[in-house]
Amino acid sequence: MLTPADRERYRRQLPLIGDEGQERLREAAVLVAGAGGLGTSIALHCAYAGIGRIRIVDQDRVDLSNLNRQILYRDADLGKSKAVAAAERLRGAGPHLRVEPVEASIDAENVRELAEGVDLILDGMDNFDARYLLADAARECAVPFIHGAIHGFFGQVTTIIPETTPCLRCIVPHPPPGGAVPILGVTAGVIGCMQTAEAIKWLAGTGDLLAGRLLLWDGLRAETEVLAVEGDAACPVCGEHRRKCE
Amino acid sequence: MQILVKTFASLRDVAERETMVCIEEGAVVGDLMEVLFRRYPGLEEALFSSPGELKRFVNILVNGRNIHFMRGMDTVLHDGDRVVLFPPAGGG
Repeated sequence: MLTPADRERYRRQLPLIGDEGQERLREAAVLVAGAGGLGTSIALHCAYAGIGRIRIVDQDRVDLSNLNRQILYRDADLGKSKAVAAAERLRGAGPHLRVEPVEASIDAENVRELAEGVDLILDGMDNFDARYLLADAARECAVPFIHGAIHGFFGQVTTIIPETTPCLRCIVPHPPPGGAVPILGVTAGVIGCMQTAEAIKWLAGTGDLLAGRLLLWDGLRAETEVLAVEGDAACPVCGEHRRKCE
Repeated sequence: MQILVKTFASLRDVAERETMVCIEEGAVVGDLMEVLFRRYPGLEEALFSSPGELKRFVNILVNGRNIHFMRGMDTVLHDGDRVVLFPPAGGG
C-alpha cells in the first residue's frame, strides 16, 4: 500500500502508472551497470521515480574529466569511488530507496552474482565486452537487459527480453573501437533517460517497449529513428532457441 | 529494382540520411555499395578498412537483419528492400 506521503510525492506520476505500478517500482530491484555518463543519469531517474533498490556497479574513481556529464558527482567527489559517491548522492531521493554500491569491474567471474536477484539490468557500460557478459547474465536470469550506448551527439537504445527479442549480438555482432570517445553530457542524459523510461514501463507494466526495435538518436540533426531489428538463427547466442521456434 | 538506403551517425557526414538506389535485379549488397560509393565518395573510407573489406563493427541491416548473419556482401537484395548502414555507438 502507498503511504499518504507516497501519494503526495508521486502525485504527478500516479495517473500514468497507477498505485499498482508505483508499488511495483517500490518493490523492484535494478542493476545499474556502470556509474558513468549513462549510469548516473539512469540511477538518478530510477531513484526519483521510486524504484526501491538500486545496485550500482563501477570500479572507477571520480576524475575531473567526468564532470561534464556524470551528473551525480561534484568537485568534492574527485578521487572517490564512483559507486560510493553515487550512492551517497542518491540517498534521500526516494523514501523507500536502498542503494547498494559495488566497487568492482564487471567480468566473467562476478557478472552472475551481480545480476542475481534483480528485476532488470540497465546498461551503463562503456565497452561491449562487459555488455555481452551482462546481456548473457540477463538471459540466464531471464530478466530484460536495457541496452544503451553513446558517442558524441549519437546514441542507441534497445530493450532485450530473453527468448523474445533479438539478443545484443544479433544487433551488434562486433563492437566498435573502444577508448575515451567524445561525449556530450546531454547525450548521456537523453539516452540514459530513454533507458530508464523502458525500465519504468517494464516494471509498471505499461506502454510499448523498444523490444525488437532499435532507437537511434541523432542529437546533431535533431532526429530520432526507430528500426525494427530481427534476430537470426545463425546467432551464436540466441540462434539455437530461434531455430527451435522456427 | 528500388532499394531504400538509410545512414546513421557519422555516416551522415559523408552521405545523405536517406537515398533511393535503382539497381539491377539479382544485385547483392556489394553491388549496392559500389553504387553508393560512386554517389558519395567519402563513404567507402567510412565503411571499408580495405577494398571490399567492411569494417567489422559497421552494421548493415537488410530489412532489420544483419548481413553478418546472412551472406555478408553477397547477400541478395530484392525490390523494396530497406538497407540501413550504421556504426554503433560504444561509449557510456
